Amino acid sequence: MTTLVENLIVIISKLIKFISNTFNLGSGYTWPGHVALLVNPNFLKSRRIRFKKGVVLVSGTNGKTTTTKLITHLLEKSGYTVSHNKSGANLLNGIASSIILDFPAFGDLNRDFGVFEVDEGALPLVLSNLKASAVVLLNLSRDQLDRYGEVDIISEKWTKSLLSLNPAPTLIVDGDKDYFNSISQAFKGDTIAFGDSVDYLSRTKLHGLFNASNVNAAVSVVRFFGLKEGDFVSNLDSFEFAYGRGEVIKHGGKEFRVLLAKNPASFEHNLDLLLSEEASEYNLFFALNDKIPDGRDVSWIYDISAEKLREACASKVVYVSGTRYLDMAVRLSYAGVNISKENIFENLQHAVKEITLHGVSEKVICLPNYSSMLELRKILTGKKIL
Amino acid sequence: MKFKIGYFYPEQLNLYGDNGNVEILIYRAKKRGIDVEVALVDLGTNLEENRFNLVFMGGGPDSSQKEVYEDLLKDKGPYLKDYINSGGFGLYICGAYQLLGKYYKSADGSILEGLGVFDLYTEHFGNKKPRCIGNVVCELSDEFRHKEVFNSLNKIGSTLVGFENHGGRTYLGEKMLPLGKVIRGYGNNSEDGYEGVLYKNSIGTYLHGPVLSKNPHLADYLIAGSLGLDRLESLDDSLILSAHIASKKLRQ
Repeated sequence: MTTLVENLIVIISKLIKFISNTFNLGSGYTWPGHVALLVNPNFLKSRRIRFKKGVVLVSGTNGKTTTTKLITHLLEKSGYTVSHNKSGANLLNGIASSIILDFPAFGDLNRDFGVFEVDEGALPLVLSNLKASAVVLLNLSRDQLDRYGEVDIISEKWTKSLLSLNPAPTLIVDGDKDYFNSISQAFKGDTIAFGDSVDYLSRTKLHGLFNASNVNAAVSVVRFFGLKEGDFVSNLDSFEFAYGRGEVIKHGGKEFRVLLAKNPASFEHNLDLLLSEEASEYNLFFALNDKIPDGRDVSWIYDISAEKLREACASKVVYVSGTRYLDMAVRLSYAGVNISKENIFENLQHAVKEITLHGVSEKVICLPNYSSMLELRKILTGKKIL
Repeated sequence: MKFKIGYFYPEQLNLYGDNGNVEILIYRAKKRGIDVEVALVDLGTNLEENRFNLVFMGGGPDSSQKEVYEDLLKDKGPYLKDYINSGGFGLYICGAYQLLGKYYKSADGSILEGLGVFDLYTEHFGNKKPRCIGNVVCELSDEFRHKEVFNSLNKIGSTLVGFENHGGRTYLGEKMLPLGKVIRGYGNNSEDGYEGVLYKNSIGTYLHGPVLSKNPHLADYLIAGSLGLDRLESLDDSLILSAHIASKKLRQ
C-alpha cells in the first residue's frame, strides 16, 4: 500500500472519529481496520507501525478486557506509550482499527508497546499478522458454540499456530488450568506460568478469584517487559474497572453495578463473587440478548449452577430483560427463583426505568451478557462504549 | 412411586446445556410430589442392578464422544438396546441420537458403527454442506400427537421449539417415524424436512435449548409415560408458554 493511501485512511478515520466523538456516537467501530486490510492485507505488518519494546496479545474466554486494561495501566504509569484496543474490538479488523486511530495525523506510529486483547477464534490469524513478544492465555471454556465450536477445536488451533511461530514468543499461561498443559508441553519457547494468589489482587479494587488470575497475568507481563516490583505495585490501586466488568454507574439515584456475565464460567464467577461478599441489600437484574456477538444459542444458561442462582437470588427482588428475557425468566424459575411477571421486560429501557422508579434497594447488581451490557451502559451513562 | 432417571455419561456428554433437561424433569416431577432419583451412568457403571423409568443421554464434544462410543458399544450397548426395544422411555439428544443409529460416516469417508437400535444413519459432508445451526420450530408428527398420554397432558400445542447445532445429517430408514417436521430450521438433514425420530417410547432429536425448557408438554409426556400415569397435576406454565410462543417467532 502506498504511503499516500495509508495516510488517507488514517486521516479519514481520524476525521470520522472526531465527528463521532463530537456527536457522542461511540468509538467501538471496526471499519477503518476493515478498509485498511481490504486495501492491504498486510497492513499490520507495515513498517510504519512500530512497537519499540514489544507486543503482547491476550486471549482466552474470560478476562481479556480487564487484563489488557491493567497491563496498559501499569505500563503507562511507568511512563511508556501504549497502543491498546480498549473498546474490546478484538478481531483482526478491530485491532487494526485501534492501531489506525492511534496514528499521528502525519507520520508513522511509534509506541513503546502494543497491548491487544484477541478473540479466541482470531488468535491464529492475529499471531500471523502481528509479531508478538508475549502471548497470554487466560482460560478456555464453553462460549458461543454456534460461533466457535468446541473448546478442543480452539485449543488445537492455538497449539498449531503457536508452534509455527519463529521466533517463538514467550507464552504466559495460567498454570492452574490443566487443559493448557498440552499446549505448554508442545511449545518450544519460554513459558511463564501464573496462578491465582490474591496478593496482588488485594492491592486493586477488583474482586473475585477469577480477577486474581487476571491481575497475576498482567503482573507477569509487565515483569516480563522488565518492570520492577517497586515500579508497578504502587500503581495497582489506581486501576479502574474495565467498562461493564465491575464498574458502578450511578443512574436515577441508584447504583448499578455492572458485571458482564456472557457465558457459564463468567456467570458463575460473578455469582461466586456475590455469594462471597457480605450480603447487603440489592436488587438483581439479569439481561440476556441473542445478537451475533452474544451467540444466538442461549441454551448455555442451563449450564449455570441452579443452586448458585437460587442462593444469589434468595430474598432479592429480581428483574429480567433482554431480547431473550423469557428464556432467562424460565431458566431462573426452573432454578427455583421467584420471578414476578411484573418484573420481566422485553425492553431494557423499560426495565431500567422500572428499577429506577420502584426498585426497593439503592444498589442494583446487573448481570448482562455482552450486547445487553453495551445497551445497558448506554442507557445508564447516556453514551456508547468509551 | 419413584421416578428413576438413568443419566448416561453426564461427565462426557454435557455440551449445549442439555443437562438442563434432567434438572427440568426433576423439577416438574417433584412439583407433583413424585420422588425422583437420578442414577449417573458413567464409563465404569455396572448396569445390571439398575432399572430406570427414563434414560437420558445428550451430546458431547468429539473427543468425549469417542470415549463414550467405545464404552457404549462394548459395555452398555446390549442393555440399552434391550431397554429401548422393550419399550423403555428415553430422550436422546444430538450426539446420543446419532450413536443409536446404524452408523456415522465422517467427512473423510470413515465409518463409525452405531448401536443400530434406530434404523437411521448419519453422514457428515465436511465443507460441502454447511453446519446446521439455528433456531428450530417443528410440528410434532401425528403419531406422537395421537399418543393418549401426550393428548391428555398437552396444554402447549403441537409445536416444539429449540436450537440445533450439528454437522452430521441424519437420514431415517423407511419404516422409522420422525418426531416432527420442521417449520423453521434444518432438522435431521435439511432435505426431507424431518426432525428427530420416534421409536417405540424413545425420542431422538437434534433440539437443544435445552429441548425440555420450553416444551413442557414433551417433558410431562416423558414423566407420565415412563411412570405409567395417564394424568399429572397441572403446573403454572404461563411463563413457559409465553417463552414457547416467543420462540416460534425467532428467525432461523
